[in-house]
Amino acid sequence: MAVASAAHTEMGTTHRWHVRRRRQSDVRLTFTILIFTLLSQLGNAQANPASFSDVASKAMAAREANDVPSAIELYQQALKLDSQWPDGWWFLGSLQYGTGAYAAADNALSHYLDLTPNAAPALAMRGLCEFETAEYQSSLNDIQRALALGAANQPRNEKILRYHEALLLTRTGRFEDALRSYAFFARDDANDSNSELLLAVGLAGLRTPLLPKELKADQTELYIGVGKAAFDFMKGDKEIAREQFQRLFQRVPAVLNAHYLYGYLLYASDPEEAMVEFRNELAANPSNTAAEVMLAWIPLLQNDGSEALPYARKAVAEDPALPSAQLVLGRALSETGDTKGGLEHLEKTVQLQPDNLEVHLALAKAYSKSGRKEDARRERLLCLEMTKTKNDTASATHP
Amino acid sequence: MSCHRSQSQSQPRTPMGRALELPGANPTLGENPKLTVRKGAYTYTVETHGEESTYNVSDGARTISIPIHWNFGFGAQTWVLERSGRRYESAVSYYPSIPGLDFTTGDEDLKPRSLEEAIGREIELRETKVCFGCHATSAVTNGKMTFESLRPGVTCEHCHAGTTTHLADSLNGDFDSAPPDLRKRTSEEISNFCGQCHRSWETVVRNHWRGELTVRFQPYRLANSKCFDGADSRISCIACHDPHQDIVRQDSSYDGNCRACHSSSTAGPQASSIAASTGSLIHARICPTAKSECVSCHMPKVKLPNGHLTFTDHQIRIVKPGEPFPN
Repeated sequence: MAVASAAHTEMGTTHRWHVRRRRQSDVRLTFTILIFTLLSQLGNAQANPASFSDVASKAMAAREANDVPSAIELYQQALKLDSQWPDGWWFLGSLQYGTGAYAAADNALSHYLDLTPNAAPALAMRGLCEFETAEYQSSLNDIQRALALGAANQPRNEKILRYHEALLLTRTGRFEDALRSYAFFARDDANDSNSELLLAVGLAGLRTPLLPKELKADQTELYIGVGKAAFDFMKGDKEIAREQFQRLFQRVPAVLNAHYLYGYLLYASDPEEAMVEFRNELAANPSNTAAEVMLAWIPLLQNDGSEALPYARKAVAEDPALPSAQLVLGRALSETGDTKGGLEHLEKTVQLQPDNLEVHLALAKAYSKSGRKEDARRERLLCLEMTKTKNDTASATHP
Repeated sequence: MSCHRSQSQSQPRTPMGRALELPGANPTLGENPKLTVRKGAYTYTVETHGEESTYNVSDGARTISIPIHWNFGFGAQTWVLERSGRRYESAVSYYPSIPGLDFTTGDEDLKPRSLEEAIGREIELRETKVCFGCHATSAVTNGKMTFESLRPGVTCEHCHAGTTTHLADSLNGDFDSAPPDLRKRTSEEISNFCGQCHRSWETVVRNHWRGELTVRFQPYRLANSKCFDGADSRISCIACHDPHQDIVRQDSSYDGNCRACHSSSTAGPQASSIAASTGSLIHARICPTAKSECVSCHMPKVKLPNGHLTFTDHQIRIVKPGEPFPN
């Protein structure tokens, strides 16, 4: 605990910041302890040369005595004698993580993962290290892989991992995916007054690719307010959320993406009302391509390619590099008779987003319509593979 | 209606034409004036007097009674119930195969914690629109529920948007406003069109739906078939089914449709006619086992887990003995 406190003392100046960091450190430490507990049964070091065995035993004893600096030193010595010792890399990485030596921990855990590629706890911890060293894309990849491999097997671990996943999705610009991740926290009333969480939801909601710590202090209140409205909506308190959004629209009429956010939340249950909000967003912020994309997407899901086409064309004209814009235009063209033109956009999109189910769904349909039976079948099988696990998100799909 | 006399006479009698019926229009409840079943701690009773039916659920101490206004389904029947401004899909349905009440398909795992919850699964506005949007005509206008214009069941306007205008214009000799001919659509487009209610491949996949319950979603199952070709009209929904007629249940009646692809160029007249009409003369392998009733082997009947409903699996394939339901 002293180590954790020392680590976070260095990193902030305001009281608020200290409190926030302490919470993060506490959960990280708890997470580490849990993983230690899980893996303490892995067994002792392999019995190789006597010197290795001796050093390894001392390392273990130091760790059990909570003498962290000595344990780290001894594990490093043992690993020089046998670099193929998985437990050594794991405990070294875990101990380094606990001291806040994230780059070193990342290195140790990478060695461990070379030897044990599908170890979910190690992937999770390496992801958290990468989060601290600002390697955000790698961090997201590791955390998502860890989740897929079952790292969220304890409620506390799941909260930590899903929270970081959502932060990273926001930081890397995948705002809708981030909101879906935050929906996980809306199931628990205890999160209602967690201002750090609400701020994070606000960042995703207003499509701001920052971490909470990167936001200017004078903007915090606005983002927490937006986050609260979105969080209430996700909890099912839709009337309370509506009032909060209306107050926000009156108070700060042109805040970028606020109408978009409300529209996005509405569209799973009321696409027509969502369309109104997306149009309001465009009225307030005419160059909001994300709103154009959604105004194309909703009619596409209602089999109305003609209604979608003008919005899709405008979205691509405004931001040709935006994959979702390419996707809606590809679908709209394909569904209004220009299958060849549609496929050009869809094939471009799949290069940018090979893991986006919606792109593969659109490709399957477009290939099928154009008689490219084998290509359609390949895409269909890929979609089935991508969706073979149960979907536990209730929210609507997004391009 | 003199132009489309045959369709306008037969279609209202089909299960699609009777997908939703108002009190008194459906004989099922009249023929079964008191249906009852006990499920866990609750007893369900559906009582009919004259044209009025009531859905009752009781925990022994209290009973909730709700008048039935909406009968969904022609054979098996589920009720959409209204109480205190909320709508529910009835927890139990009528199944002719029993004949009687049992859990509504898909709701078997619901665990009601109160008498109110035991009524059934509450449905939100969006789902209400989906239910009525498929089982009725003009129930949803510009995305809003419009009970005032609702007509029960699937009528002409449901599939052929613009029929009402076309009818008025044609009486004045103007035929330019005729709705688009759906037969000109590709198989993929038809599959998506029918799939708006019968569930398209895309819808099922996007929702991660799997398992035997998906046998109900014919467009999804058909598109999973190796032989499905979205540009070949020999395998579209309407190549085999005329939506204006009752479903044909005789297996042999579909042989011509199979032989439209699976035949030599000297196949029988029905297959040749189908192949010629579609302009497609690519021929697939011929079955070495049988020459008739193809669907009896290649499109097996699947009973849903509740045992009360049986569907033909539209995932056309070579079925191997003992193989699990292809997912």
